[in-house]
Amino acid sequence: MNLITLILMAVITFTTRYLFLHPRLPIKLGAKTIKVLSFSAPAVLTAIWVPIIFVREQALILSPTNPYLIGATIAVILAAKGNNIYVTVGVGMLVFIGMKFIFQY
Amino acid sequence: MALKGFLDMLPLSLAVLPWGILCGSLAIQRDFTLLEALLMPLLVFAGSAQLVATELIASNAPLATILFTTFIISSRHFLYGLALRDKLKILPTRWRLSLGFLLTDELFALSTSPRSLKGKLRLIYALSASGSFYVCWLLWNIIGIVAGSYLPDLTETGLDFAIAVTFIALVIPTIRNIPVLVTVVVAGVLSVVFKLINWELGLVFASVLAMFCGYITFIFIDNKKAQRNQEKA
Repeated sequence: MNLITLILMAVITFTTRYLFLHPRLPIKLGAKTIKVLSFSAPAVLTAIWVPIIFVREQALILSPTNPYLIGATIAVILAAKGNNIYVTVGVGMLVFIGMKFIFQY
Repeated sequence: MALKGFLDMLPLSLAVLPWGILCGSLAIQRDFTLLEALLMPLLVFAGSAQLVATELIASNAPLATILFTTFIISSRHFLYGLALRDKLKILPTRWRLSLGFLLTDELFALSTSPRSLKGKLRLIYALSASGSFYVCWLLWNIIGIVAGSYLPDLTETGLDFAIAVTFIALVIPTIRNIPVLVTVVVAGVLSVVFKLINWELGLVFASVLAMFCGYITFIFIDNKKAQRNQEKA
């Protein structure tokens, strides 16, 4: 029973990924649509990471002792200054773990 | 190129380690068979959809609920497919099917450059990046399956921060003009608001609205420039 559920789930995740890559699909993207879509990466990725920082169990956490907030702020500054991904992620993680330890979050 | 793909993906592959372990161990704790627990990462291959579906299956939710929830969580992939359509639709079937199957948030994050996925070398790069991510995801799940119930609940340890910080490292450097800045700010604010009201489709709607705001800003700035040039002439 579970097996059928899993296979149907796999069909759904694959379809959402593959559908618009299929050449026979009768849609043609206009110049305007392509320009709108050019903003999709910053839009979706931001919509994934920002709630991780600010929302815990359906509550907004803006406290300055929130380790997520401190770690993310440092990471944003490092990334904006042109550091590579390893430095940004590494220092961001260390700050986060340190703050978590200090504030017993 | 294959090595570069693997290395560029490595931080993202590592960032999902806690999630992968969590998915694997949760499946075992919820009495999935070994085969079922393995088929989740092998075939479904989706972090949040796997987690939510595991809980739903364990609580005997109706099939329609499980499938609908999977669809909603997965629907952001339609945006990725649309954004990459013109580059990938022209490729031979085997490339389309394999990159389509491997089209995760992470592969999309590495495919934002206008030159990405163009030419054999960049395709090999993408395949190696996304393929290595797939293997890692499978490995992390297997660790979870093996370690199973011996592990504490990893979502409580705050390791979801790893995903946030990798996405920060990927998104922030792409903010090189006002329209992208507007996109990021709108996406950030709306996604938090929608998350607070626990709206499942919030991620997709926040993204689409942010994309339009970015586009409108672009048009506005473009018109201003054109006006200024006219005045000069």
